[in-house]
Amino acid sequence: MNTAELLFAAVRWWLTIGAVVAAAFLTIGIDRIDEDARGAYVFRPLLLPGVMLIWPLVLWRWLRIETGAGDEQARYVPPRATHKTVAVLMAVGILAAVVLGLINRPQWPADFVPQQISAPGE
Amino acid sequence: MSVKYIPVQWNRFKWYYDAAMLAGVAGFLWLFIHIAPGLLSHERPINPQVHNARAFGACAFVMLSIILASGPLARLDPRFLPLVYNRRHFGVLTAFVAVTHAGYIIDWYFAFSKSNKYEALLFANTSYGQIAGFPFEIFGVFALICLLILATTSHDFWLKFLTAPVWKRLHYLIYAAYVSVVAHVAWGILQDQRNHTFTAIFLGAAGVVAGLHLLAAFKETRDADPAADAQGAWVAVCRADEIEEGFAKIAQLGEGERVAVFRQDGLLSAISNACAHQNGPLGEGRVAACFVTCPWHGFQYDVRTGCSPAPFTEKIPTYNLAVKDGVVLVDPKANPPGTPVDPVNPEGV
Repeated sequence: MNTAELLFAAVRWWLTIGAVVAAAFLTIGIDRIDEDARGAYVFRPLLLPGVMLIWPLVLWRWLRIETGAGDEQARYVPPRATHKTVAVLMAVGILAAVVLGLINRPQWPADFVPQQISAPGE
Repeated sequence: MSVKYIPVQWNRFKWYYDAAMLAGVAGFLWLFIHIAPGLLSHERPINPQVHNARAFGACAFVMLSIILASGPLARLDPRFLPLVYNRRHFGVLTAFVAVTHAGYIIDWYFAFSKSNKYEALLFANTSYGQIAGFPFEIFGVFALICLLILATTSHDFWLKFLTAPVWKRLHYLIYAAYVSVVAHVAWGILQDQRNHTFTAIFLGAAGVVAGLHLLAAFKETRDADPAADAQGAWVAVCRADEIEEGFAKIAQLGEGERVAVFRQDGLLSAISNACAHQNGPLGEGRVAACFVTCPWHGFQYDVRTGCSPAPFTEKIPTYNLAVKDGVVLVDPKANPPGTPVDPVNPEGV
């Protein structure tokens, strides 16, 4: 199995486990942890792809809510201070990506005329 | 707001917003495909599949740039707040446009071999050790995964389930996605761009996004809410006469918490500055009939109880407060969300 096959298989496994978690969470778990979801079914298919993608986070939150882990106050502490760090990192990242991209642009001869070097395939 | 979840909560403004957004996307694609080929150096023959791929890719880049620019624009000038109001719909549509771009690319460049086309995308070029000829597709793959995570976790359920701070940290992925998209373009199509119109548009958009975020971040630092002064167990927020009728003063309590002290009918009430929905800045909202409206998405709370009006169930913490010698003092220990606190007369009557 080459690296590409390995990565592709890992993605399939990730999504398969996610589908199992989603089946359990959207049929049993969601009713136990969110009163606003009880009796509301039409919106649940919309959550399916999200659960499949971030199922470890879903399991962590499900466990914390089920066990009553106290994080109520944390709900009201937004990560505002993080924005400055993120903004600087993003600006540096954009600059680096653009500069590296531009300085490595291939410089073709201005009068280059493409030549067909073999017959077209059938 | 809550009550029972439904797939999408529509209102008149969202209809207008989405209609304008869809018209903008359709207009951009039409312009790119039918009007701009000469301008964008597409006079060289490319087939419709590649032309469509480029149109959707360019559209996704522009949409992502607008999404990322709208946040800092609203921080710098409140007149841009309506752009933020329905930004999640914008994000979901962007993910659809990006998936369409990826679909055209994969079904053209990687679909005509015996290999699985998705595996072919990963093994067709593995020159990861060099910048020239680097497999720029991997930047697009990473950005697409980020956009899919953001789009699929955009329903209000996720905000309540993950809590707003966790949800916001997860949605910081958009910054990584944008850098990745910039690299995807700069190390990809820009390498073969002979007409510099597209290069100028691309560099301008990326520069505006980076610049606006830096401006907003440094403005936030410069105009930071004042830290409350410790006065024994309680903390001083401001002088009572500094709070205008119907508005609030905000102060930091430490550990990232902020309190908003409102004046309503001459009486003072203190609640958390963070909206229960997306942690929007309630202290920048206005009070009417005891209810403050969040400037981001319109959620409302009674400043005396921290509760949303029935039938909604959102609650935020309240704070005990007192006025001593004209100075507003707040108990930094928040009350549980939804705890009623009698408003305080700053004149002491």
